[in-house]
Amino acid sequence: MKSLSSKRPVACLAALAVVVAVSACAEPEGGTGDKDRSGSASGQIVIDTTFDVKTIDPGREYEPTGQILVKGLYDTLLTFADEDTTKVVPDLATYMANEELTEYTLTLEEGRVFSDGEPVTADDVVFSLERLQGLKGNPAFLLDGVSVEKIDDATVKLTTAESAPALPAILATPSLGILNSKVVKDHGGATDDSDTAEEFLNGNSAGSGPYVLEKLDVSSEAILAKNEKYNGPQKATYDRVILRNTEPATQKMNVERGDSQVALGLSGDMAESLAPGVKIESVPSATVVFLLVNADPAVSDLTSKPDLVKAIKAGVDYDGLLEIAGLGAAQATGLVPSVFLGALDEGDALKYDPDAAKAAVAAAGAEGQPITLSFPNDIDPTGLNMTTLAERLQSQLGKVGLNVKLAPAPFATEIDAYRSGTEQIGLWYWNPDYMDPANYLAFGPGETVGLRSGWPEGANAAIEQLVSAGYTTGDETERQKVFEQWGKAMNAESPFVPLLQPGSNVAYQPSVTGVHYNPVWLINVAGLGAN
Amino acid sequence: MSPDSELTDPGPALGPGGEAGPVRRGPAHAVLWRYIGKRLLIAVGLLWGMTLVTFALTNLVPGDPVAAALGQRAADDPAIVERFRQQYGLDQSLAGQYWDYLVRLVHLDLGTSWQTHNPVARDLAKAIPATMEIAFGAIIMAALIGISFGAWSAYRKGKMADQILRLVSLAGISLPTFWVAIVFFYAFYYRLGWAPGSGRLSPGMPAPPKITGMYTVDALLTGQWSVFMDASAHLVLPTAVLTLYTIGLLTRFSRTSFLEVLDKGYIEAAKAKGLPGRTIFFKYVLRAGAIPILTVIGLAFGSLLSGTVLVESIFGWPGLGSYAYQAASRLDLLAVMGVGLFVGLVYLCINLVVDLAYGFIDPRVRVG
Repeated sequence: MKSLSSKRPVACLAALAVVVAVSACAEPEGGTGDKDRSGSASGQIVIDTTFDVKTIDPGREYEPTGQILVKGLYDTLLTFADEDTTKVVPDLATYMANEELTEYTLTLEEGRVFSDGEPVTADDVVFSLERLQGLKGNPAFLLDGVSVEKIDDATVKLTTAESAPALPAILATPSLGILNSKVVKDHGGATDDSDTAEEFLNGNSAGSGPYVLEKLDVSSEAILAKNEKYNGPQKATYDRVILRNTEPATQKMNVERGDSQVALGLSGDMAESLAPGVKIESVPSATVVFLLVNADPAVSDLTSKPDLVKAIKAGVDYDGLLEIAGLGAAQATGLVPSVFLGALDEGDALKYDPDAAKAAVAAAGAEGQPITLSFPNDIDPTGLNMTTLAERLQSQLGKVGLNVKLAPAPFATEIDAYRSGTEQIGLWYWNPDYMDPANYLAFGPGETVGLRSGWPEGANAAIEQLVSAGYTTGDETERQKVFEQWGKAMNAESPFVPLLQPGSNVAYQPSVTGVHYNPVWLINVAGLGAN
Repeated sequence: MSPDSELTDPGPALGPGGEAGPVRRGPAHAVLWRYIGKRLLIAVGLLWGMTLVTFALTNLVPGDPVAAALGQRAADDPAIVERFRQQYGLDQSLAGQYWDYLVRLVHLDLGTSWQTHNPVARDLAKAIPATMEIAFGAIIMAALIGISFGAWSAYRKGKMADQILRLVSLAGISLPTFWVAIVFFYAFYYRLGWAPGSGRLSPGMPAPPKITGMYTVDALLTGQWSVFMDASAHLVLPTAVLTLYTIGLLTRFSRTSFLEVLDKGYIEAAKAKGLPGRTIFFKYVLRAGAIPILTVIGLAFGSLLSGTVLVESIFGWPGLGSYAYQAASRLDLLAVMGVGLFVGLVYLCINLVVDLAYGFIDPRVRVG
């Protein structure tokens, strides 16, 4: 028995060692391997990100990873250059607007074709935009109140009842990508909810973008292949783009080892500790993290007092928050983030003033009174840990006499309370839907986010006038003034406390060029080049 | 005396001589089939119970799935919300939703996930083989090593080898799996470069044609050796992490089980009779000690299939754990129910198989 008992485990261990050795000796083929580690182009680029994608049907998609993919697959009528996120430029079309900004005439560029070689026509444009409206999916609101009309084979007119200066920026949103209407209709496409083309569009692309879809698995991997028929201005460098669903910690290791070329999801802390040799594009993101202090007395007698809002605005040590936000983060000077027209200067930002905060706490009679701060604790907007941030806020506000109780909850459950406006204080964030400051007017009284803070229409006439002007003013200089006035008024009188813009940190191998952050589609894969 | 009662005497099946008792073939088969039939009937009842429990628990979760599934702007549009509720049957009463769910279930339709917009059954069919691939590897390795370690430890009770193996098994159980996963990934991939990075295949490596959904098996079946090697290489680290935990578990249980058997009189008798150690171990110790170990292996396998969330996340493994986590965090109720039902089914099947295996290993169980 002695010999048996000693040999068995040894045999098993030997078997394990053989398997490990064989597996470890397997040289990955077709992957990045050592070839890419040495920096030579292999024709493919691997991008690691944490997936948030449900579909890549342009009429339905509305998640960050979906935006990256759809941007690569579908050209839009207008777009933004990679290096300049403030000016709309032509993509499939050029545009003219009437003086009132209620009519936009778009003329298609000659000769542009879909990936099957068929020309892009006005019929395709009308079908794509009407389909987005008719599907009533997540991005349908982008074209609320916009009517679409074909003028001729190369011209389309968009009409709105009121002045719509943000429309060109909206037309650059990937969800408004132009579909090959014939192909989509052949696969069940329609401009109402009888449409059944989503499954087809999740396995194939039908656009005129620099890439075509090779593979999509919404939980693990997406592969784009170069569109050989593409004849637009942005030629793709890489034959294939591979997006992998990877946890941030793994992303960091992958990009440091050269097994991926780009990592999109690094937190500020991770970005600070990157190994030498890996480059980093670190800028304040367009995500604004804010506190809402509910103005509805039915929700809280305490938070609805203007003095309490003042106390919180003066009681937050904004520089102290940046310490935990890591690389790239900046104080949000107002609700409009720094990348957009009308963002406030640093001098206009809210200031930490503990004495003023203590006085306001006393005036509100709030000293020691419990107030609940609710926040989603399972989501990290742009790598920012919401729990750490909430704890820091609790500590800071405690120093000026406020007794803040933290109420963390999973996003899926807390979002309901946020949307129904029942949180006393909420810690949330806002990502831009399109590249225009009009997006942020949602914080105004009676608007989408304003209502969540118990701030109904009629609560502040002056700010409401500015909101109205923000939606309709067309002249750029005037527009900037309106948004700046609005931003300052919101800082002074709204129940919102803009806290910070977390950093957007894109780590990449030195062999990669053209890495630019975009507030809506994060990164333009067709704009990536190779040294 | 009924045919059943004839079998209540197992005879000297486990006696030192190793001779089988006087079992009659015909009645034995009848009893076995009756035993299997009874177990299957119980399984069907349990399956229905599981649908009720998963449905009820999933719908008890606070929060509105509409808020979680739709974008901020879309959720403010009553027309879009209404359409979403209609599309997923959320406009019906709970009883109506449950009835619809049961009707669809009969047709093997688990509904459509609103996080992937795919049928849940299709999502599961992709995720399950990925998890199976690491779970199978882990359970086989862990069973071989764990039982060997357990036997070795039992035979060396109180000696140095026993102490070391008990420490190893304690470490295996106590170390958090996600921590071991991070350490392994950091050491063997990042630092040493011995193992490939995350995912099931290297970037750009085409997956083999789907037969079982397990890449190593499919690659072998289709003769794609390079894919097989690559898939095997990617399997090593996640499998090793899961194996380590399961080894700890099985070593402890095996040791206890074998120690109990080694204390029996008939083992002493066998030794006194001069039977070789190999014969004693395989014919008596292993057979008698196998039943509790089999139970633990079954439960450990179920746990591997359903509880690999963190390991899958760290290794970028698109398996059932990742799918379940994403479904739960986004309040994707149909996907959560689908996963819950599958996991319940796994335990049901494992218990059934273990029950049946008991019946084969120990004839007394068939009529107990």
